[in-house]
Amino acid sequence: MTFLVLVPQFFVFATFAEVSEDDAASALANAEGALVSAYQAALKAEEAGADVSGLLVRLNEAGGFLAQARIAYRLGDFDEAVRLADLCSESSDGVGNEAVKLRLGVFGPRVMGFWLTVTYSLVGVVAVVLGSFWGWHFFKRRYFERVLRMKPEVSFDES
Amino acid sequence: MNLEEYRTVFAAGSLVLILIAAAPTLGLIVPFPRGTERFSELWVLGPNHMAEDYPFNIIFNETYRVSVGVGNHMGSSSYYLVYVKFRNQTQPLPDAVTSEPSPLAPLFEYRFFVADGDGGTWETPLTFGILKVSHYNKSVSVGRILINDVVFLVDTPASWDSKYNGFYYQLFFELWLYNTTSQSFHHHNRFVGIWLNMTS
Repeated sequence: MTFLVLVPQFFVFATFAEVSEDDAASALANAEGALVSAYQAALKAEEAGADVSGLLVRLNEAGGFLAQARIAYRLGDFDEAVRLADLCSESSDGVGNEAVKLRLGVFGPRVMGFWLTVTYSLVGVVAVVLGSFWGWHFFKRRYFERVLRMKPEVSFDES
Repeated sequence: MNLEEYRTVFAAGSLVLILIAAAPTLGLIVPFPRGTERFSELWVLGPNHMAEDYPFNIIFNETYRVSVGVGNHMGSSSYYLVYVKFRNQTQPLPDAVTSEPSPLAPLFEYRFFVADGDGGTWETPLTFGILKVSHYNKSVSVGRILINDVVFLVDTPASWDSKYNGFYYQLFFELWLYNTTSQSFHHHNRFVGIWLNMTS
């Protein structure tokens, strides 16, 4: 009877301790990877011109979980480290997807804005070039007319 | 002025107007260098959220509070890591010349993201207390320290400082920045700390 009671206790303890430490290291690595990937997605969205303040709030929540998980790991509390690392991974996954949506959301208007700017500049440059040619020819004609209207005079220097 | 000189003036004027018209597009295509310096701020404030009244004379088993903050002026949102470390007077601080961090193991840590710009700051309160100190003839040893309700075993001895008459320790904060190119954290060459007198 004693044997029957002790064996399962020992078994449970031994299995629990072994899996927990390995899982903790792996879960921390996964969580860090998920968080960094979400951050890079948020950075791309920010570079595209999206407002990522909401994403940063959620990234901070995930970062807080990861920091606590690392502290728990250093203190040897591997169960807690795994739990917190998993929370970090879950939070990060959602952020990455949201960042991609935000980036795509600003992509269309940004491309449109780019082409509008290019069009305005082209129109401006063409207008300046045409205006300059027209202005120069107008000026040149007026200049020659003025020169032709001049009456030459012959003068002598008597000194 | 003769006609040639007029033509030169006309050409120069037209060129200036063309550049003005093309400036918006050039601004989108040509990467102009940013004039602003990129940096991060790291600070520690006292319990009243001012740069004063920092905990100094430590009474064992009492809890003290400070605030740690970071400001981001790096040009984009940044991923930071702050390590909280504890040292005596002989243990090494980070090296500001070589940008090397302190080799001491971190106790607590914060990982967070800060937006760029004037509003881009992060701040958090930190509570700490000294839980176990052993006294010897001319030295003490701090055994356990509490940081944000987490107990850390430190076992750090300190000798009597005859110059300043006390046993001194330092709780300091190291700032690390995530580099997206190397995909790892690097010491950002910023650290701040508060001195703690364990004499009492």
